[in-house]
Amino acid sequence: MRPKLMGLLAAVGVVAIAGGLFGGSALGAAEPEQNNLVPPQTLPQGFESTGELLRDQEEATNAPLYSAWLVESSRFINVASGSFMPDRAFIPGSTDPKHNLPFFDFPANVGIIKGKDGTITLYDSGWKQLEYIFDWNTSCCWWDLPNQMKSIGLDPAAVTRIVIGHGHWDHAGQLDSFPNAVLYVQAEELRQIDFFIDYPIAFNDGHIRAVNTVDPLTNTQIGPPQQACARSPVCGYPPQTVAEIEGKVLAGKAKIVDGRFRVAAGLIIHPAFRGHTYGSQLLQVHTPAGELVFGSDTYSSWEGIRDWNVANIQQTDTIQQFLAYEKCYVLTSNSASFNNCLAAHERLSYSDDYPITKNWWTITNGNCSRAAELILANAEKTHVPANVTTGSTTISLPGVTPPIVAPWRVDSVVCKDTISTVPPHSISP
Amino acid sequence: MGRKGAAFPKGLRGTGDGPSGKILFHPQWPLGLRGTALAATVLALLGVVAFGVIREATTTGREAAPALSRPVAAPPPRPAWTRAEEAYIKALWPIHGEVERSAVRLSLGKIFYKTGELKKADLKTRADAALASYRRAEERLRALQPPLSLAASHDEYLAAVRLFQQAALEVLKMFDDGDDGHLLAAYPLSQEGTDKIREVGVKFWQDEFPPH
Repeated sequence: MRPKLMGLLAAVGVVAIAGGLFGGSALGAAEPEQNNLVPPQTLPQGFESTGELLRDQEEATNAPLYSAWLVESSRFINVASGSFMPDRAFIPGSTDPKHNLPFFDFPANVGIIKGKDGTITLYDSGWKQLEYIFDWNTSCCWWDLPNQMKSIGLDPAAVTRIVIGHGHWDHAGQLDSFPNAVLYVQAEELRQIDFFIDYPIAFNDGHIRAVNTVDPLTNTQIGPPQQACARSPVCGYPPQTVAEIEGKVLAGKAKIVDGRFRVAAGLIIHPAFRGHTYGSQLLQVHTPAGELVFGSDTYSSWEGIRDWNVANIQQTDTIQQFLAYEKCYVLTSNSASFNNCLAAHERLSYSDDYPITKNWWTITNGNCSRAAELILANAEKTHVPANVTTGSTTISLPGVTPPIVAPWRVDSVVCKDTISTVPPHSISP
Repeated sequence: MGRKGAAFPKGLRGTGDGPSGKILFHPQWPLGLRGTALAATVLALLGVVAFGVIREATTTGREAAPALSRPVAAPPPRPAWTRAEEAYIKALWPIHGEVERSAVRLSLGKIFYKTGELKKADLKTRADAALASYRRAEERLRALQPPLSLAASHDEYLAAVRLFQQAALEVLKMFDDGDDGHLLAAYPLSQEGTDKIREVGVKFWQDEFPPH
């Protein structure tokens, strides 16, 4: 018996050593090859090899699980489809579903991620500029994020981290609503602003500008020499937004990261430099449904990720956007693939057509903004109303009399047209 | 993974094989010379009209909108600016640009200083430059004569520029006494300033920072 046991142990040992040598070296051998495939003009800290991503995916299997929700911070209305996705440009008379829609309505989504310890991480922090939304842009459905969270049963005071996909004001807009949260932003994002704020304008009166981006009287965004940076992503940083980032830094509530960064076990920042802005970043979240990857404007459209179409034409580098799509494909390759990629502006959000958002409802007292429960973990009880398919709630803003009651899943267009109202705000031209 | 190749509408492919050529050439032409000329003229005119209509429709549909979020539905109508208002807004525009640049430069300077990416001396350079810029902006603002309708906005902007000056002066104190705490003390002042110029700015130049 004993010699047999010794023999068995020896055999197991040999197999284990061989596995360690050949299995480990196989991954190791792949890496130099991968690293040779760094795209040109790529910062070292902005590059991730497929091997690294697969290792992140594998290591996440031992990480804690997170629950996740999506909420609609506000909604863009009537965006010309071709100005958002060139491959979806409207062709009059076309019956092709890719070309028969002249306009899109789409949300500005914020991710809410809750850990086992109850702390919450936000991915993006929504809009703040009510004057823009309501007085000029005819957008709709804004309601402030802390109140949205309360309405869906989540505690805004539990927000301890905010990872911004990029620093534009319409995605990093409510930072000061979460004073205790640590902000995660890429150094490259800040360096980009610093460079373009002083971009020389001597050539043809300046093609790229970070401020003074419209004709002062007509507000039109036209090409040089009439000062138009508005078609590039470098003009999305008003001093107010940069000041809020500064406030976080001065308060010791900011982590300026430089490339890949492990926020916590199961929460990994992946650089997506130039995928939208120079310092764009993704967030990998480990959940019972596999890895979710939040992408902000680098993943403007889930349909774009699914169909391999560029989305949001104001990308610094469309190749980098596609490479960021690839990151999501790799990280989600052992689960639901592109279905687990979370887009900031997917028009199909909050419907069965964007499957991960199918458990959606209209937020109580939320001005027609919507929420979706993406996945639950750690015995978290569902936040989806029990009677979501048959019941109703107060949809109008608090203070609207009489309160307007509508089904939890009221048609979004009907809600926008008949219920949504303009919250009080300071400037009314 | 469900990725699909780009689909090209069939209508955009070559049409040289179509039957239309045969239809146009009728074997027994029923019209005389004048009739043919008249028909050709009418056809040409119809062609021009059709081309114009199609071009208008397709370019309208395909052209990139000037801003991602620009709606088709017109925003609520705003009374046109008067000449005096226009003159004021136009004069404020370059001042606004300089103030914005200085505010962002100093904000980023403070961030980079705190993260160790900027030397203390370089932060001082930025703070000095910002203060000079704000003082210049105040002088230029004082030289403007806003119409009564924009007096409140003008006062608001002036107040913002003064807040920026106070904030810059507060920052500069750290180079006298070595106390970085002045950065924190300056922050609420500059933050309020950025709120004010954003509020005035969005009133006059709503698309300066389009969402995207």
